[in-house]
Amino acid sequence: MEALMALIIGVLTACGVYLALRARTFPVVLGLTFLSYAVNLFLFTMGRLTIGQPPIIAARATGYADPVPQALVLTAIVISFAMTAFVIVLALKARADLGNDHVDGRREP
Amino acid sequence: MSLPLVVLTPFLGAILAAWISRQGRLYAAWMAGAITLLALAGLLPLADAPFAGQTIIQRCSWIPAVGVDLAFRLDGLGLLFALLILGIGLLIMLYARYYLAEQDNMGRFYAGLLLFMGAMLGIALSENIIQLLIFWELTSLSSFLLISYWQHREDARNGARMALTVTGAGGLALLGGFLLLGHIAGSYDLSVILASGDRIRTHPLYLPMLALVLLGAFTKSAQFPFHFWLPNAMAAPTPVSAYLHSATMVKAGVFLLARLFPALSGTPEWSWLVGGAGLITLLLGAFVALFQHDLKGLLAYSTISHLGLITLLFGIGTPLAAVAGVFHIINHATFKASLFMAAGIIDHETGSRDMRRINGLWRYMPYTGALAIVASAAMAGVPLLNGFLSKEIFFAEVLGAAIPLRFGWPLPAAVTLAGAFAVAYSLRFIHDVFFNGEPVDLPKIPHEPPRWMKVPVEILAALCLLVGIAPALIVEPILAVAVAGVLQESLPEHNLAIWHGFSPALGMSVIALVGGGLIYLGRKPLFAFYERHVEWLRVETLYDRLLNGLFALAGALTRKLDTGSLQRLLFVTILSALVLGLAGFISVPAPLTGVRTRLPVDGVSLLAALGLIAAAIGAVFLHRQRLVAVVLMGAVGLVTALIFIRFSAPDLALTQLAVEVVTVVLLLLALYFLPQHSPAKPHPSPWVSHVLLAVAAGGGAAALAWAVLTRPYETIAGYFLTNSVPGGGGANVVNVILVDFRGYDTLGEISVLALAGLGIYAMLDRLYLPGPQRDAEGRAWDPDLHPALLATLARLLLPLALLMAIFLLLRGHNLPGGGFIAGLVTAAALIVQYLANGVAWTHARLPWNLHALIGLGLLAATLTGLASLTFGYPFLTSTFGHWHWPVIGEFELASAMVFDLGVYLVVVGATLLILIHLGLIHHASQPAAATPIPDPPVRDGGKRDALTPNLASTGRGEHGEAR
Amino acid sequence: MNHLVIAPVLLPLLAGILPLLPRHPTMRQRRILSLAATVAQLGVALALAAEVSDGEILVYPLGHWPAPFGIVLVADRLAAWMLVITALLALFALLDAIRGADTAGRHFHILFQLQLFGLNGAFLTGDLFNLFVFFEVLLIASYGLLLHGGGRERTRAGLHFVVVNLVGSTLFLFAVGTLYGVLGTLNMADLAVKAAATPPENVPLIRAAGLVLFGVFALKAALLPLHLWLPTAYAHASAPVAALFAIMTKVGAYSILRVYTLIFGAGAGSAARLIEPWLLPLALATLIFGMLGAVTSTHLRQQAAWLVVASVGSLLTALGLNNAAGIAAGLYYLPHTTFAAAALFLLADAIARRRGELGDRLDPGPAITSPRLLGGLFFVTAVAVAGLPPLSGFLGKFLTLRAALDHPFLPWVMGAVLAAGLLGLIALARTGSLLFYRALPSEAGAAEVWPTLARETVPIIGLLLLGLGLTVGAGPALDQTHAIATQMLQPQAYLQAVLKPGGTP
Repeated sequence: MEALMALIIGVLTACGVYLALRARTFPVVLGLTFLSYAVNLFLFTMGRLTIGQPPIIAARATGYADPVPQALVLTAIVISFAMTAFVIVLALKARADLGNDHVDGRREP
Repeated sequence: MSLPLVVLTPFLGAILAAWISRQGRLYAAWMAGAITLLALAGLLPLADAPFAGQTIIQRCSWIPAVGVDLAFRLDGLGLLFALLILGIGLLIMLYARYYLAEQDNMGRFYAGLLLFMGAMLGIALSENIIQLLIFWELTSLSSFLLISYWQHREDARNGARMALTVTGAGGLALLGGFLLLGHIAGSYDLSVILASGDRIRTHPLYLPMLALVLLGAFTKSAQFPFHFWLPNAMAAPTPVSAYLHSATMVKAGVFLLARLFPALSGTPEWSWLVGGAGLITLLLGAFVALFQHDLKGLLAYSTISHLGLITLLFGIGTPLAAVAGVFHIINHATFKASLFMAAGIIDHETGSRDMRRINGLWRYMPYTGALAIVASAAMAGVPLLNGFLSKEIFFAEVLGAAIPLRFGWPLPAAVTLAGAFAVAYSLRFIHDVFFNGEPVDLPKIPHEPPRWMKVPVEILAALCLLVGIAPALIVEPILAVAVAGVLQESLPEHNLAIWHGFSPALGMSVIALVGGGLIYLGRKPLFAFYERHVEWLRVETLYDRLLNGLFALAGALTRKLDTGSLQRLLFVTILSALVLGLAGFISVPAPLTGVRTRLPVDGVSLLAALGLIAAAIGAVFLHRQRLVAVVLMGAVGLVTALIFIRFSAPDLALTQLAVEVVTVVLLLLALYFLPQHSPAKPHPSPWVSHVLLAVAAGGGAAALAWAVLTRPYETIAGYFLTNSVPGGGGANVVNVILVDFRGYDTLGEISVLALAGLGIYAMLDRLYLPGPQRDAEGRAWDPDLHPALLATLARLLLPLALLMAIFLLLRGHNLPGGGFIAGLVTAAALIVQYLANGVAWTHARLPWNLHALIGLGLLAATLTGLASLTFGYPFLTSTFGHWHWPVIGEFELASAMVFDLGVYLVVVGATLLILIHLGLIHHASQPAAATPIPDPPVRDGGKRDALTPNLASTGRGEHGEAR
Repeated sequence: MNHLVIAPVLLPLLAGILPLLPRHPTMRQRRILSLAATVAQLGVALALAAEVSDGEILVYPLGHWPAPFGIVLVADRLAAWMLVITALLALFALLDAIRGADTAGRHFHILFQLQLFGLNGAFLTGDLFNLFVFFEVLLIASYGLLLHGGGRERTRAGLHFVVVNLVGSTLFLFAVGTLYGVLGTLNMADLAVKAAATPPENVPLIRAAGLVLFGVFALKAALLPLHLWLPTAYAHASAPVAALFAIMTKVGAYSILRVYTLIFGAGAGSAARLIEPWLLPLALATLIFGMLGAVTSTHLRQQAAWLVVASVGSLLTALGLNNAAGIAAGLYYLPHTTFAAAALFLLADAIARRRGELGDRLDPGPAITSPRLLGGLFFVTAVAVAGLPPLSGFLGKFLTLRAALDHPFLPWVMGAVLAAGLLGLIALARTGSLLFYRALPSEAGAAEVWPTLARETVPIIGLLLLGLGLTVGAGPALDQTHAIATQMLQPQAYLQAVLKPGGTP
């Protein structure tokens, strides 16, 4: 399972990096979103993988997953959501101000 | 008056002069003169000490930690220089008052002059070498202002910049040198440094230190190969040249040689470097001076040559040579200052400085002529004038130094030749200018200058004579004191008589005089020769090439590095991170895989994972079909949520889902305004390197995750699990961490969200971006904007959704849920209304001030935290209790819930603000559609509601930030 | 417990929230509020500095949870120093902004105050993940501020700035996550303790994480080769914003100093002195390339931005020497360069506004109005920025070189610092001569209305006076930074102060 997780994180990171390196604002936004998925999963897995033991105190609970990374990821998700929203709108603004959706506002050759 | 005050006086005077010049042109001149006299008056009472063989040292603490104090020192050498600076400065000021023209700004001139004078005094009177360096650089800066005085002239600007660059570079080298010197001597105080000569000379760092210090000295006193700035500085007004290049600026370099003489001299390195530079400069200057047609140019090169002479003397390094050096400093100051002033008078009265045009002035200005002749005779080293005396000792010392050397004879020959050239150019200065036929079409008819303009020249010329005739009487005392200051020991046996009997030195003088005459007679062929082979002597051209090369290189490098491309930027960033991470990982050998027991893979997880991977890779390949890419991205998000559920993180799963929905809506809204496709062939981008980097990054992340996941670890988690219920009053540990244990993080997090909302609102303000009228396939959008079915469903859905949200909010503390999720659900539900019923409809029924909502949310969270302060607990300390309410039954309330409510409000407010205003762009951008939006009920003193896009109308001024 | 510690965070937060509430104030009220809040922050910062001047380290356990479990604020000498500098800078930037720049777009004062909220939070926190959170706060506020006023170039610059920083934040999370995954904690003091006791098989992981984290901080600090975002971003921000941004790169420098003296400091066993081989060489390169950029700049603002890059180089050179004298020199140089750069940005704007469509382009243009005053100010600012005597820049240079005397890199450091000094001299001499000397004759000599001119120049003069104060008071200032440096190099006190109650289980 750990290997699978690592693979997922790797793939998401790779896709994110590739898309972030595109010349258009939209794929860049997608890329950044993918990167945030990747890093959120990464951060999450830093509490190791536990199945069927949610960190909710209960009498019959056999054990608990590490709640700290979950809390951190929640914060990270919110922040990355805010940032994504911001960069999306910024992309629109760039489109409006620069007249095209190239990341450097360059016209096509 | 104390030494610091003496130095400070001119600086204060500069301000006064600049200020008073507003009252009247000439006031500045008088003020400057008065200031100089004041400083002189302050200095003279202190002068007894040096004559009594003592050194005055006055210090006040500045940066004791690093041994840098404001320490001033008055000994013979300092006194001599201070007198030169102030005395000649006074004459210059008198002279300049007549020299400057109506349109010249007196205040600026005298302020600059006083500034410079103060800096020079500082150099002469510093005990601490770092402080000396500060004044040293100040002379560079103030001389920049003086040389560029006539700023409208390009030669003035360039000359000033050249002088600043060269001397500034020297100053920087000097900083390095002084740091090393202080390091070696163990102190920056001259008294210590001068006392520890042996230690310094034997230290391994001696040579680099010497080199750096000499760089400073040579650039300042225009030694080859740094001499070129001096002639170019002649674009300055003549009084400035007369001051800077006779007594002060350029003398600072030789002053430094004299100052550090006991500490640095006496090694072969010193003799070769200093002596060598001096000799070359002496010859070069003397030779080139002869061929200048510009009066000031001739004087400039002769100055260079004389500075070389002095440097050479200090290079020889014998005590008597030092005597000659100091003596020549005095003599050169007197005759060169007077010559510059004479040149200035000629320029002033004839309107030209070209010696090919100004001839035969004797008939027009015999008096000035006479003075000039005396001075230039002194420059040539004619007997009965001061220049002769110092030259005699100079020749003698050179002989003394040359005899022990094998093949030493070229040295005396060379200096004699230089002497001859000195005679030749002095002859030219006299003959060409005052005789040699008639003036050639001068702009003005020459005549004698105003009375007082000649006085300074008279005084100096008189000095040349007096010193020349009665040296023992006039100059011996001060010279003795000064030399004692240089050597820091009793004066060597010497005698300043006019007649030393038939010495070899006398012979050299005679040869020089005769030879000079001959050279001048045979000048025609020499001139021709010089005109032909002039270029190789011009270091300026080399300097210009260097500078242009530098600019070119800088431009090339910067452009190469900074292409202004985002892709490049990201590439470098990610690559750097990878390199750093890898470097860190391989720096210590250890296995990648740890020993922790792993979970088995089950089919469902495998399938989900494969689905996610497929979707992600699909998104990459299809990213040009943007709609498809968004859908695939949504799929990835959903699977991520599943992963969270699978691995016991229900809160994360809920959050992920909610965020996913909103994000996708956002992207779709955005997509509406963006091109539906990326151009199939993006303009050439190095995609191979991008793929490689992406794969490397993915590999890195995967490896890191793998390495950590397979290792056991100890965590602080236990504390939270045990304290969540008793300490935080909540069973849902994740939520308790968010709103209590790490509530501070959450406070920052909601601020980020709020800021995102506000920032986006500010960004969209007055943004004009019309959406396309047709979709990607060219079909017009469905005219039915709000299908009835969807609308009805949405309206039915709303109460349910809101109920759900409240439920989630309330239970969050104990079960999955919480403010953030609840907020997103609410927002989503409301967004659906906008989508289904249209902005206008919803907007009319939802007259919220979203900014206030955000504000209230933040305030609620903050105040919850602040409340604990009143109980003496730290910020954000939570409390909770159980109440029994009728009907409802046992009920728990935790202050953290209020905090969570704040989170909820911020999330709702920010999300709605973002989405609605994004949705509104379209209306805003189409005036036709913009009108139907009704203004919601008027509140808050009739200000408009935030939801209506403020198109320019209230965009500025008083209400510029009205929400 | 001392509630003074939380005040620098709460003041700007509340000042940022209030204008949002239903009774939305007028612009005038906003300005007064913002100004008052900033002055208050200055007062609080000074009080805090006095509080910790005796070497005491104030620990503030938020939510009354003990470290390492809850988040703690830690106010030591360094934090207080940074807070004071930030408040001073903010005050003058704000004084410039309220002349009208704040009406160019929405929410200026909210963004401004929350930017301060982020900055102060970053300086005070003792928790690594919380540092990330406050980085995000100050970043998103800075995005808003950078874009404030709008305009083509600003949008382009903003897009680059935002995207590259988002990648930076992702890297930050990777690093923090790894550290938690290996060491199981987030509190910096606790991380230091745990890092020192890492079993060898885990050392590579924390070293990797530590270096990635360094990359993040280097990006914020604009260290070569991660400096490329800075020139465009700073050159296109509005004047007061660019002035405020002068502190932004210092946040990166601060974090480097904090994390790599504490977590990866000399006491960190096999993870000790992690960045030593990287920092100094990169800093020297940054110094040189920054100056080359300044030499070749075509616009004054651009040149100012490149000079900021160069100043980062000198600052990190001093810190990179990694000895008490070097850190002290760097921390003395830090406020100088912050104020000087801010003054230059404000001045550039004042000049540009007087040159019509020519703006701040470095071409000979018409003579500007009130050239005497602005020329004089430029001369002084240039002297300060170029690190020439007698101003504090020179002292910073001197102190840095002095600290390098026993360092193996001495020749390199001296060579680079002196060469950079010369380059700066050449660049600024050219600029000054172009702007003020080669002015084409024109009738634009009309005298200006005194009050407006005063309001325009007061912030600049104020910033320059701060530099002058640093020069005159160099003795005490250096004693202060020396005290900070010694405190940084002996983290034991910090560890004990933070972990004393309970300690790690």
